[in-house]
Amino acid sequence: MNYDRAERTVTTTEVTKEYLTFTLGDEEYGIDILKVQEIRGYDAVTRIANAPSFIKGVINMRGIIVPILDMRLKFNLGQVEYNEFTVVIILNVAERVVGIVVDGVSDVIALKRSQIRPAPEFGALMDTAYIDGLTTLEQRMVIMVDIEKLITSSEMGLVEPARLENA
Amino acid sequence: MTIDMTRFYQVFFDEAGEHLAAMEDLLLELDVSAPDLETLNAIFRAAHSIKGGAGTFGFNDMAEVTHVLETLLDCLRKQELQPTIEMVDTFLRAGDVLKAQLAAHQEGREYADDRIAEVCAHLEQLSTLAPTPPANHRFALAPQVHTPPPSVRWHISFRADAIDFQPGADLAALRDVLAELGQVDWLSADDAELCVWRLTTNAGQEAIIETFAFVCDPACLTISFDDGALHPSAHQTAQEDPGFGFFTDAPGSDHLKQVLEDEAGFGFFADAPGTAYLAQHAADAEEDAAGFGFFAGAPGSEQVSDQEHHGYGLFGGSPGMATVAAIAQQERTENAQGYGFFERRQPLVPTDAVPAAAPPVAPAPVRPAATAADAKRAAPADTSIRVSVEKVDQLINLVGELVITHAMLAESASGLEPLAHEQIFDGLANLERNSRDLQQAVMSIRMLPISFVFNRFPRVVRDTAAKLGKQVTLKLLGEDTELDKGLIERLADPLNHLVRNSIDHGIEQPEQRVASGKPEMGEITLRASHQGGSVVVEVRDDGAGLNREKLLAKAAQQGIALPDNPADKDVWQLIFHAGFSTADKVTDISGRGVGMDVVRRNIEAMNGRVDIDSEPGHGTRITIRLPLTLAILDGLSVRMGNEMFILPLTAIQESIQPTRDQFMTVAGKGRLARVNGDYLPLVILREVFALDAPPVRDEDGILVVVDTTEGRIALLIDELVAQHQVVIKSLETNYRKVEGISGATIMGDGRVALILDVDALARLNRRVE
Repeated sequence: MNYDRAERTVTTTEVTKEYLTFTLGDEEYGIDILKVQEIRGYDAVTRIANAPSFIKGVINMRGIIVPILDMRLKFNLGQVEYNEFTVVIILNVAERVVGIVVDGVSDVIALKRSQIRPAPEFGALMDTAYIDGLTTLEQRMVIMVDIEKLITSSEMGLVEPARLENA
Repeated sequence: MTIDMTRFYQVFFDEAGEHLAAMEDLLLELDVSAPDLETLNAIFRAAHSIKGGAGTFGFNDMAEVTHVLETLLDCLRKQELQPTIEMVDTFLRAGDVLKAQLAAHQEGREYADDRIAEVCAHLEQLSTLAPTPPANHRFALAPQVHTPPPSVRWHISFRADAIDFQPGADLAALRDVLAELGQVDWLSADDAELCVWRLTTNAGQEAIIETFAFVCDPACLTISFDDGALHPSAHQTAQEDPGFGFFTDAPGSDHLKQVLEDEAGFGFFADAPGTAYLAQHAADAEEDAAGFGFFAGAPGSEQVSDQEHHGYGLFGGSPGMATVAAIAQQERTENAQGYGFFERRQPLVPTDAVPAAAPPVAPAPVRPAATAADAKRAAPADTSIRVSVEKVDQLINLVGELVITHAMLAESASGLEPLAHEQIFDGLANLERNSRDLQQAVMSIRMLPISFVFNRFPRVVRDTAAKLGKQVTLKLLGEDTELDKGLIERLADPLNHLVRNSIDHGIEQPEQRVASGKPEMGEITLRASHQGGSVVVEVRDDGAGLNREKLLAKAAQQGIALPDNPADKDVWQLIFHAGFSTADKVTDISGRGVGMDVVRRNIEAMNGRVDIDSEPGHGTRITIRLPLTLAILDGLSVRMGNEMFILPLTAIQESIQPTRDQFMTVAGKGRLARVNGDYLPLVILREVFALDAPPVRDEDGILVVVDTTEGRIALLIDELVAQHQVVIKSLETNYRKVEGISGATIMGDGRVALILDVDALARLNRRVE
């Protein structure tokens, strides 16, 4: 991963934030790097009964039980066989540790707020509440995701409603 | 300074809390018909210490209550009044008020309640009943009491700069507090660095020390007897107690100032008034100021320290003095050098032989032997440290990791050739032993004796029984049994319910008991013990027992289905039904039918279970079985397809290899298993959890009979694997609650296994069907 960019961008006057980009099928996503705890390979999970299909199960990460979500399944991007290149991004959001399975991690980018353009409304087609905006990176479109909002959203069923209200 | 103040506040809160607890214990212990003077004195001292502290810190509301309390206690200990049950009740209530006030102050509030005035009024009313006996009568009783007789003059000297005052307080305020003990005169100039006060009081020296203890280190303080002339009984006392004899001819206090001016640093002697003289004297004799050290190492001093209350070192525990002197003399011959102090003292031991050469010394304090309360307080302070539970939990987690890491290593090593890798296997065996020992040791940090819960019950029993007009004694057994701190805290409420229930419903009224040939006094026994890997707590009463007919009638009335001729055990279980109460009327103690239901839920939430035995006319016994700790579970790992699950061992009744004809259906759907003649609901884990494991023929699996709150069920699984002690991890930390699962654990191979919640499984199963 190229962390050099971080040092270069710190000097600019406008506040820049760093994002980790990853791929899911043909789409590229970006998430706030401060929410990322670590990146690791995919391990066998322990299935959880009666959970939504995108929840693969739980793993033991140095003694912590961490649920693993498949973002492809979540975003309806079709199923893919896991292989040795499959990557799990361990996130630290809303005081919990959660892993997401992605096809691959591509880069760390620094963006100014002005570089992120709002995403168009899709109406009833899909919920865009957790999409922060869109940005362009070397002609590619990157979808900026508010990962905290996504993980804690009720449709994920990760956080119990009571805890959501408290948060 | 602000920080200092809060620091001292905390000391006061802690101490006052301890004093209150000690007072309550002593009050409950007090036998009203034959009051023990020592106990009365101890109660008085506790109240007095609270008052002193409260006054010094400006918690005047507490000081007022304790003052009234103390007045009455004073009458009691002087035997002007006989204690009555009513008084003890009032004292206990005053204790409650003080506790509430203390709690309020701790939160920075002031406790305002009518109760305060009510209790004070009651106390005052009780104490006005006291006849004022003639002085000589009082005096005649006094010698039994190990407190100095009235109107002793004490010399108190201390360095003003050694005292940490809270803002707003000064020497004058301190003097006012002291003035509550008696008359205070300032012998030194107001602004002198060294303050010398004279206190004329009938309070003991320890009362003075306690008053000062809130503002300065007692070691900075020197308290001594004033001129013996005012104290006609001194000589007499001395003769009664040869241990003190040689001090009593002290002619005066002139030397005091000299000593103090010479050297204020006699640290460890300062607690014992008068010893400064000895030190000074000894120093003179040795002509070597550096010689103080030898007191600490003096032969005999250890013996005394052992016997006596900590902090009063060599001199404090006067009763052991003669022994010390004797030992000292003995050893003196062997150690000619450095024991000048004892050398001089040796001829002093006979009471009447005071050599002219010996400079006058002040009398040693007549200090009562350390009370039980003092001893209790001293012990934990010396031997324990307070650590936050978080730190301990973190340690427990880390050790859990270590155990798992070891298991992983052992698993990877299992493929190796044992002979070629002997060292690795030896190392692994050692690692296993060490990590297990470490795990046990760390777990034991969280363990507390169950007396932490039991101790509240003497009061509960007393109050409840008094309210109901019953006579009940409480027997506590196995108070040393240790269990997890978390469990201890959660055990208190259920036990409280059970004990109150036993008194209300179990124990009969005295006349009824006599009529049925039982002693008037009912008995409740709380017993704790270890049985295997669990802790068993028993609440037993010798009351009427449960009434089978009444329970059955009530069950019919409430529409609870029961077989025709239910076993006693099933009938007794009825009382755990929500809303089930056989009490004829609802009292503020029990009868709403909520308690037992909550008890069972609470206990089951701790992975425990409750059982009832009852014999009509002879009593009821309720047995609570709990795991030793919340953090570790004894479980059986079971396999279902590719997944491993942990089944809590406590729930398992039996496991059997089924045959084809044991499985049956009702109306083609409801599946049952016949086990030993009983038809049990069949729960197939594969179906309940919708596992994608390949289906196995029923008779190839294993049936495990488990006990749940919904009754017994038969669980069909693929294979029993092994028994483990597993470290329980919460799924909810990072995920959410999963139905049918109570938690997760990490297996030896590093994978996560889910722990089954059999009660929830039984419920889930009904829904699947």
